[in-house]
Amino acid sequence: MSLGPGWRRAFRLPFSRPRTIEREVDDELAFHLAMREEKLRRQGMTPELARAEAASRFGDPAAVRDQCVTIDQQYAREVRIMEWIESVWSDARYAFRTMRRAPVFTAVTVVTLALGIGATSAMFSLVDGILLRPLPYAQPERLVWFKQSFPEKGLDDWTLSQENAAMYRDRATEFSSFAAFARRGITLGGERPEQLVGELTTGQFFKVLGVSPLLGRAYTDEEDAPRKNNVAVLSYGLWQTHFGSDQRILGKTIDVNGAPVTVIGVMPAAFSFPRADVQLWMPLGLDPNRKFGWFLTGVARLKPGTTVERAHQQTTAIFREWARQAPGLLPPSTAPEHTGLTTLVSPLRERLTRDVERPLLILQAAVLLILLIAVANVATIQSSRAASRSREIALRNVLGATRGRVARQLLTESVALALIGAVIGTSIATLGVRAFTHSDALSLPRLDEVGVDARVLAFTLGVAVVAGVLFGLAPVVYTMRDRLTGDLAAGQRETSHRATRRLNGTLIVAQITLSVTLLISAGLVLKSFRRLLQTDLGFEPRGATALALPLPQRKYMNSTSAMPFMDATLAELRSIPDIRSAALASTVPYSGDVNSDGYLIEGHAPPSETGTETQVVTTSVTPGYFRTMGIRLDRGRDFTEADRDNTLPVTIVDEALARRYWPDGNGVGKRMRLTGDTTWLTIVGVAASVRDEDAATEARPHMYAPMTQAATSHPLLVLRTAGDPGPALSAVRRVIHRLEPGVPLDNARPLTDYLGRALATRRMTEILLGAFAVLAVTLAAVGIYGVMSLYVANRTREFGIRMAVGAEPLAVMRLVMWEGTALAIAGIVVGVGGAMFATRWLGSLLYDVSARDPLVFVSLPLALLAIAAASCYLPARRAAKSDPLVAIRAD
Amino acid sequence: MADTESDLLRSSLDLLILKALSWGPMHGYGISEWIEGATQSVLLLEEGTLYPALHRLERRGWIAAEWGVSDNNRRAKFYKLSAGGRAQFRAQAPVWHKHATAIAVALRRTSADVA
Repeated sequence: MSLGPGWRRAFRLPFSRPRTIEREVDDELAFHLAMREEKLRRQGMTPELARAEAASRFGDPAAVRDQCVTIDQQYAREVRIMEWIESVWSDARYAFRTMRRAPVFTAVTVVTLALGIGATSAMFSLVDGILLRPLPYAQPERLVWFKQSFPEKGLDDWTLSQENAAMYRDRATEFSSFAAFARRGITLGGERPEQLVGELTTGQFFKVLGVSPLLGRAYTDEEDAPRKNNVAVLSYGLWQTHFGSDQRILGKTIDVNGAPVTVIGVMPAAFSFPRADVQLWMPLGLDPNRKFGWFLTGVARLKPGTTVERAHQQTTAIFREWARQAPGLLPPSTAPEHTGLTTLVSPLRERLTRDVERPLLILQAAVLLILLIAVANVATIQSSRAASRSREIALRNVLGATRGRVARQLLTESVALALIGAVIGTSIATLGVRAFTHSDALSLPRLDEVGVDARVLAFTLGVAVVAGVLFGLAPVVYTMRDRLTGDLAAGQRETSHRATRRLNGTLIVAQITLSVTLLISAGLVLKSFRRLLQTDLGFEPRGATALALPLPQRKYMNSTSAMPFMDATLAELRSIPDIRSAALASTVPYSGDVNSDGYLIEGHAPPSETGTETQVVTTSVTPGYFRTMGIRLDRGRDFTEADRDNTLPVTIVDEALARRYWPDGNGVGKRMRLTGDTTWLTIVGVAASVRDEDAATEARPHMYAPMTQAATSHPLLVLRTAGDPGPALSAVRRVIHRLEPGVPLDNARPLTDYLGRALATRRMTEILLGAFAVLAVTLAAVGIYGVMSLYVANRTREFGIRMAVGAEPLAVMRLVMWEGTALAIAGIVVGVGGAMFATRWLGSLLYDVSARDPLVFVSLPLALLAIAAASCYLPARRAAKSDPLVAIRAD
Repeated sequence: MADTESDLLRSSLDLLILKALSWGPMHGYGISEWIEGATQSVLLLEEGTLYPALHRLERRGWIAAEWGVSDNNRRAKFYKLSAGGRAQFRAQAPVWHKHATAIAVALRRTSADVA
């Protein structure tokens, strides 16, 4: 297409209306016929004959006309498209020229937008990967999480026994498949035995999830039976790191807990259920006759066409029928229908992400606020630019650009800026998200599915275009206004400055409002987290290290037969100088391994008569456990070496339990027993309460038993060391290896690590929200500074004159400071009001802090006010230095 | 067959239009007069067929149109060769010559032998 401008313009008008195309064709053809007729007449034909001859030589005029019209219409359409592309391209070129002419302005705009857009897309990639995207399983919407509940027993969230699992598997027809699973530490035997994370599951586990192994096969229901469960499926990671991706791994035998197990399959890399760290799956060896031991969690696939509600009704009926027959579960006179017995059936995605949904949404909201602040910020810069560009725009108007054309030019420019910002922002987001997903400190569910991918890029592109249009509107609005008053004398310039100022003022107030809301929310969350860290957990995690001590099962059937080994180990460890104290325990706080049971206190009515029962957390420990953990023993004594399996059965309870029965908390000498056991235990001590599951919830009742009297199969070694545990740990490994070479020694973890994982989501929320608040305040401060600088620049003349007629520089300075601070105050007032509502949404993120904590609500807005005032200082000083002469010459 | 014939005619008509305009801007009637004169009225059996050809060439960008005034003072649509059209003509004319010569030679052959 290389037509001269004159030719192009010739087409423009006719092509804008289709009617004219037809008229033009008619005119052209009529001209031809007329010319031919005239020539024939000149050659001597009569007019009638000449007309007939001309028409016959022409052919079919209607067909010719139609063809021409069709061709011209297509052509017109093409020309319009071409013109549109060309004009967008020329707008873009123009925009880039403008950007090059004002590099500082461009840089500030792009960086601001990159921060806003980058943060938004990074956060969105988390929200999308964790909350929005379907689980990576076949028809994931039909998967449900399954547990039981018996609120009267304090078992709101009750795991399943093997008997329970078998009855749902066999009788819950609303499920097309059902499986139960439990975490189990596994020792992989070999020269250097190693502790692995294993998952024991029932037979239909892989069928429920609908995932086939990469190699080999999954196990069957037949292999999920006692003594037949000697097969294993490896995770991709374990297969790679421990078996060198051996293609012939299938059929090989590995040593699991001292027994030979055949590898029958390897799962794909993307499969990791129920948690990312599973290394190996094995059949549980489900025994339907095992009535006790509740440790399984269920997962099921709904039959096509059924609902969660129907499955819930059916399984609850099965559960209640079981409860009717279960010995001692219900008092004889109570029907299960009159209790709160129910099953818990919830969509799997919802359940997996339950704990992080709110923090993630809050962070996403915070990031959107930042984006809005960035957009408002850029809009003020843009409108101030539009003000200084008003001459250029006026010139373009004079040259014939329509109002819409100028508006489009400005929007193209802002969208181009936003897209540049998006490119940089996406790079930031990619790096940020990678750092995030590779961080060990986080235990977000589905983190392995998070990444910056096509969906995130599409979202980012959308955000950038919307942002570009939003902040582009400011100069457009300004230009429109300018056009209305335009073409008028120079005196009008003051009016248009005032219009910009009003717009900028509004934008500043909006930025401050959003910043205050964000700042207060972040402040409350930060304060909550500090409070939480200061909470007395009842034990001292710092300086304590836990080490799993899985004993070879063939050699030690239970802890009684293991006692000599344990005694010897502890005795040797206590002689290591770096170790202040050492003990064994069946579990440690925050390890996620909790044993609980119903109990009776001698002389108090059994819970079945009082209505509700609570559970007591039971832990088996060796003497020295309380000292090692830093748990205060308030009354009575610790266990001693003299408490053996043939001496008086004893127990130590915690304050949470003691206070329920004895107002002074002194239960020493009283007796209690577990509901599943007939042995009365004498309370010999009362220990401080321990918050061992969630730092933010009240401690549950605990009782401790000596390991000599309460066996455990998976003891943990707990050490308290002075300073760095490293040297002490190597000594410990040497001792244990000498005494029992079959024990893996690779899993020592500081207790602070367990606690850190439990607090990871809160910590992430705190850090990110805090960072976002700082970012918001920085952007707002830059915004105030920019607007006040512009304001001063526009009024240099006025200030100059004021000072020429005798105003003190200080008075001018005060004036400017006041104008800026007034905007900040307006924003703060609105923002504090907004925060009153917004912070209620923080819900469980708050701990021990009111959603309207007065300190936070007063101090942070004041701090922001100080920052705002400081941002006005430089422009104010510039105003005070206005030189009357320069000011007058400026125009 | 009809298609082949019209294709042949169409491409030759296109070439003739470009040739006609190589003398300078012309309106449709002028082009038809020139073609009739130059080909002894063999090619343009129906003058109307010229117009779709003109509009097609215009759409392709080989010629450009502008309304002007004819010798006898009437409003007429003038066509002129664009740079693209000129290049097209220079490229197509030798090809046409070669084909026409080849066809003419072939049609004069008197034997079925492949020489």
